[in-house]
Amino acid sequence: MKTITKNLIAFSIGLVVFTVAFRFSLSFMLQNRLFSNAWIVAITYGVLIFIIGWIFGKKDKINLPLYDIGFRFHLATYIICNLIAEIWYLMDLQSEYENIRAVHLTAIFWGIVLLIHFIIYLFTRKNAIKGLKKSEIFE
Amino acid sequence: MNKNNLLSELLSAWEETYKKGQLTLWIFLSLKDGKKYVDEIKSFVEVQSNHTMTCESQSLYRNLRKYQHVGVVDFETGEGNKGPERKYYFLTELGIELLNNFIERNINLFFSEQIKNLIISED
Repeated sequence: MKTITKNLIAFSIGLVVFTVAFRFSLSFMLQNRLFSNAWIVAITYGVLIFIIGWIFGKKDKINLPLYDIGFRFHLATYIICNLIAEIWYLMDLQSEYENIRAVHLTAIFWGIVLLIHFIIYLFTRKNAIKGLKKSEIFE
Repeated sequence: MNKNNLLSELLSAWEETYKKGQLTLWIFLSLKDGKKYVDEIKSFVEVQSNHTMTCESQSLYRNLRKYQHVGVVDFETGEGNKGPERKYYFLTELGIELLNNFIERNINLFFSEQIKNLIISED
């Protein structure tokens, strides 16, 4: 099954850019004690990720409607967000008000959700041939 | 609503539903006829169906990508007419077998004497 598509790569690149920008802005604001403004950065980041996910996810479906209930995009998001967060701490770029425990806890709880998503995805594969929904191949 | 209008509306409604599942068969038939690029497939479908079937190029590309993904259609690039290279689509061995099985199970039954007579008969 074709899993890594052009649109998934484009989404991932956008996600890397926005996540690095988010990490930088968040750490900068916290370090400068701009606590009440940090949520604006977080919401902006969330909205931007949603928008690029929507755009590239839609384009991906139009190009080739792989029946994966969004799992590929979810997995890419999980890997990129958590990897960048880990690297951020490894490079000691975080503010003094950030704790790596939050990153690890996020990875664990999000990982559980991702695992559930994966199990559901495995069930839905019964209705697919080479990743395409049976009822959509010849429509 | 008079009888003619009713007949016309019912026919349109039936044809609309009927045609939805027909495009794959027409595309496969056009490729059985020989390798074709999208505009040729489109033209084949429209001409051979007496223009009862119409299809947008975008819709054809989308369908061909799906068929290619499942391995029933493939393409090779060939020279275009003064433009970029064209994709010439063809049925793979699996595609030919799929079409033959489909025809045998779903189309050939219309050629049995009894059904043929029923179709021809105007009563």
